[in-house]
Amino acid sequence: MEKLTHDVVIVGSGLAGLRAAVAAAESSSKIDVAVISKVYPVRSHSVCAQGGTAAVLRDGDSYDLHAWDTVKGSDFLADQDVVEFFVEQAPKEIITQDHWGCPWSRTDDGKINQRPFGGHSFPRACFAADMTGFHEMHTLYGKATAYDNITFYDEWFVTSLIVEDNVVIGLTAINLKTGEIHVFRSKAIIMATGGYARIYEFTTFSHTATGDGMTMAYRAGVPLKDMEFIQFHPTGLVPSGILITGGARGEGGYLVNAKGERFMKRYAPEKMELAPRDIVARAETTEIQEGRGLDGPYGSYIALDLRHLGEEKINERLPLIRDVATKLSGVDPVKEPVPIRPAAHYSMGGIHANIRTETSVSGFYATGECSCLNVHGANRLGTNSTTGCLVFGAVAGEEAAKYAMSNSFREVPREKVSAEEKRVFDEILGGEGDERVPVIRDEMRCIMSEKVWIYRKSDELESALKELRKLRERFNDIRVEDQSRAFNTGLAAALQLDFTLDLAEVTIAGALARTESRGAHSRPDYPKRDDENWLKHTLAYYTREGPRLEYIPVTITKWPPTKRAY
Amino acid sequence: MSSQVEKTVEFKIHRFDPKQKKHYVSTYKMPVRKGTTLLDALMYIKDNFDETLAFRHSCRMGVCGSCGIMVNGKPMLACYTQVLHLESNLLVIEPLQNMAIIKDLVVDIQPFFDRYDRIKNVLIKPEDELKKPTEFIQAPKELKKYWDLTLCIKCSICYSACPAAIDERFLGPSTYATNYRFISDSRDEGIDERLKPMAENVWLCTSCNSCTLFCPKEVDSSSSIVDEHSLMVETGAIPRTVKDVLTSVIRYHNPMGTHPSKRMEWAKDLKVKTFPTATKADVLYFVGCSPAYDPRNQEVARSMASIFGGLGVDFATLGAEEWCCGDHILRLGEKGLFEMLAEHNVSMFEKLDADRIVTLSPHCYNTFKNDKPYSDAGLHVQHYTQFVAEAIEHGKFKLPKAIKKRVTYHDPCFLGKRNEIFDAPRQILGSLKGLELDEMKRTKENSFCCGGGAGRVWTEEATPEKRPSVNRVKEALELGAEVIVTACPFCVTTLEDAVKVLDVEDKIAVEDILGLLKDAV
Repeated sequence: MEKLTHDVVIVGSGLAGLRAAVAAAESSSKIDVAVISKVYPVRSHSVCAQGGTAAVLRDGDSYDLHAWDTVKGSDFLADQDVVEFFVEQAPKEIITQDHWGCPWSRTDDGKINQRPFGGHSFPRACFAADMTGFHEMHTLYGKATAYDNITFYDEWFVTSLIVEDNVVIGLTAINLKTGEIHVFRSKAIIMATGGYARIYEFTTFSHTATGDGMTMAYRAGVPLKDMEFIQFHPTGLVPSGILITGGARGEGGYLVNAKGERFMKRYAPEKMELAPRDIVARAETTEIQEGRGLDGPYGSYIALDLRHLGEEKINERLPLIRDVATKLSGVDPVKEPVPIRPAAHYSMGGIHANIRTETSVSGFYATGECSCLNVHGANRLGTNSTTGCLVFGAVAGEEAAKYAMSNSFREVPREKVSAEEKRVFDEILGGEGDERVPVIRDEMRCIMSEKVWIYRKSDELESALKELRKLRERFNDIRVEDQSRAFNTGLAAALQLDFTLDLAEVTIAGALARTESRGAHSRPDYPKRDDENWLKHTLAYYTREGPRLEYIPVTITKWPPTKRAY
Repeated sequence: MSSQVEKTVEFKIHRFDPKQKKHYVSTYKMPVRKGTTLLDALMYIKDNFDETLAFRHSCRMGVCGSCGIMVNGKPMLACYTQVLHLESNLLVIEPLQNMAIIKDLVVDIQPFFDRYDRIKNVLIKPEDELKKPTEFIQAPKELKKYWDLTLCIKCSICYSACPAAIDERFLGPSTYATNYRFISDSRDEGIDERLKPMAENVWLCTSCNSCTLFCPKEVDSSSSIVDEHSLMVETGAIPRTVKDVLTSVIRYHNPMGTHPSKRMEWAKDLKVKTFPTATKADVLYFVGCSPAYDPRNQEVARSMASIFGGLGVDFATLGAEEWCCGDHILRLGEKGLFEMLAEHNVSMFEKLDADRIVTLSPHCYNTFKNDKPYSDAGLHVQHYTQFVAEAIEHGKFKLPKAIKKRVTYHDPCFLGKRNEIFDAPRQILGSLKGLELDEMKRTKENSFCCGGGAGRVWTEEATPEKRPSVNRVKEALELGAEVIVTACPFCVTTLEDAVKVLDVEDKIAVEDILGLLKDAV
């Protein structure tokens, strides 16, 4: 088996991963960086980010205002020291993107333009039409591929982290093209593998975003934090779930029910459609549940009406969603309202890491959506995610490089690798049962959609947890039809399902335990936020019997929790 | 919940098993609903019929570029195409072309990405500018200049369809488009550095337009390359071969370097009305440079003249006043020279009073139709295949003699891809008795360029296996055709050269449709 050695290994090639790679490579030309990704970098899910990237750039806005919006949006679960750092670093990243070539949309006087966005009390979403993530990704890809000290391993599927004495020493990965498994030795590893909303069926997520890195970290002993907080985006295109940017409402779009009413006036009279996502998604759900949704072949839905914006503005500001809605749903937003409903969109939770992206394992860092640095708390504001990827991608790259400079490589014990080979090839690929991966996957999505959606009830969560554990047992009896090595997408699907089953379990366990409603986590049986008992982060530790939950406090600096109204 | 099944569509998927090195085809019957995309169908097949089917996919919204495949011969994104919109009950699914197959529909896309490494994919600015903590100023109208080119998702569909990309010196359509995206970015200050990596290879582009035609994001790579040619011409950094073509046109008004007094040599034994003696005719016969000067294509020019004669058509040529139409010149980037040629020809069209212009070359036809100032002159232009097909349809043109040959038709890009004239040539071939017409796999819109466009017919220096023409002749040979028939003098030249290079003159011949017609009359 070939052993590959790099000082810093980054897993994942989305915004956070590429930003980390550039930062690490930039910190010293002597640092040898590798980016491993199961897809070619520009295929990463970050290209789907649409609406913008939040940063304070102009008079009238301030760091405190951005931080306050973020903290209030988070329903006070964000760690405020991290939020303050985050908003201060954001503008620099926007300028850096500009200097590297990002085609930012411009004001008439040629400055970077900013649009309003849900939950932000100042128009601070820098955007490149409605393809912000796409353009940031291609900008970063262009930058990252120019470094001689970054090696890309594209279409390599990382299967496990290797940790010894609480120090990360390497990982195992399958080269998909050949099907061979390899060991990477490294001084530092940055996890940047994105979120896991693919545990749901109706989601804005790319098919490949399955949260692999979260599970690998979890199994390696790093706790997952706040996993019960999953964001449901108010405007998932019906029937596919494809994202229709919050920028559509930022530009002035209306949400309308079957009676033609802008119903947000009842839920957020001041902010209306520009309330934070948790509030809008709940409002839509209530409208649908109370019979005020519109009827369509795919069930009840809400109308996103953009017609009053006019063709010119739609073409300039929202060209992608016009194209997508027209091509895939047969609805031209210039002429008709777009059918939408809430779709699983973002995981506020993730690998427990601090302001420097450090985890509880030395040399192991986490950034981007797979991490939980406590910026977004119980509900992330739109356009804060791409900012988070850029800001904390850079932090992770710098920190990991620094760590790698002052630490040395360690030998990866043979038995660790053998154990992983056994797991992947003997147990999963060699499984001879009669369970099928797509069946278990669909059942998992069904459970999560029916019982762990926007409103979560105790009895449903309990039964979801039971059913999910049965699925986990059934997974032990799977059979992968494709027995070849080269580009075995059946094996990849099985490994991904294995990862997501753990994440679904942690999500339910956290949700069941949290007997309050906060941000995106809504418990009809516990409808109020309970700061006395629940102003704390959930940590889930891996055990053979399922997650063990612990709690840590929230850091409050300037803004004590108050009533959250919009 | 879902909408009802509209119909069942048969998917014939071309597979490759890398272990056995075996190609095979799997067929599935797929229930299709409104909104079902090709990707949905592939996933349904994988989940329900055959878990071993391999294909790439991710975003399912047309931005990640993973899922390019060939569908009934055309490259497209699986996720961005609804099955019902294809209006077919049988879909043949194949992997993208020009790349080695890893497994089933998964191709080795690495060479495509590697070519980006040869250009600079970030802004080029002086270091002190980049250190400034402030944004660069760029007016919306400056952004607009390059915005469309930023939409490339690197799906490799253009590369897959590109005839020039078979030569690894060529950077690939989207790479040139990306390079031009930076050149056109008002923030960028690196033009010299950007021109260098393409100075020698950008001329391999044949302007066949496949890249632009198939791009799922409507990125016009083809025009970007022409604009890059223009920049090269402006700076004078052009290869000798290109310089020679331009010099000939400047001096002699034709790219072959022959004195214009010889432009009517092809007709020396024929009675052909010529300007300025003739000032009026029903048809202005625009012969074109290659048929006028190249001995091989002079036959074609004569054949057309005799057809006009046989039909009793009152036709005339511009004689020595016919200048190169400029199509190749424009696409080589010499806009000034093109304008000079076009202005001259347009003024001649005013002087020789004719109802319509008939061209032999699809290139003359294309530029008259689509490029200013020609396109503003209100010309009534026909390619000869349209003229002849019309005459056959009206029963005026009889073709009594049988031609017992097994032929295939090669669509010239400037006739087919650029002007959608696919039927007229086939109507003519269909009216020839005894002729057996087989289509090559890459046909019509998805035809594979002969490699002659944008001046490459005169500048070709690629090794034989890297020439599009050689690739194309091999395809015709595999089909078992005895003759490759085409309707463009440059296709005739390049394909005939390829037949010689491959040393297969005993197996296959190249003929213009007019050459066949001569034998059928």
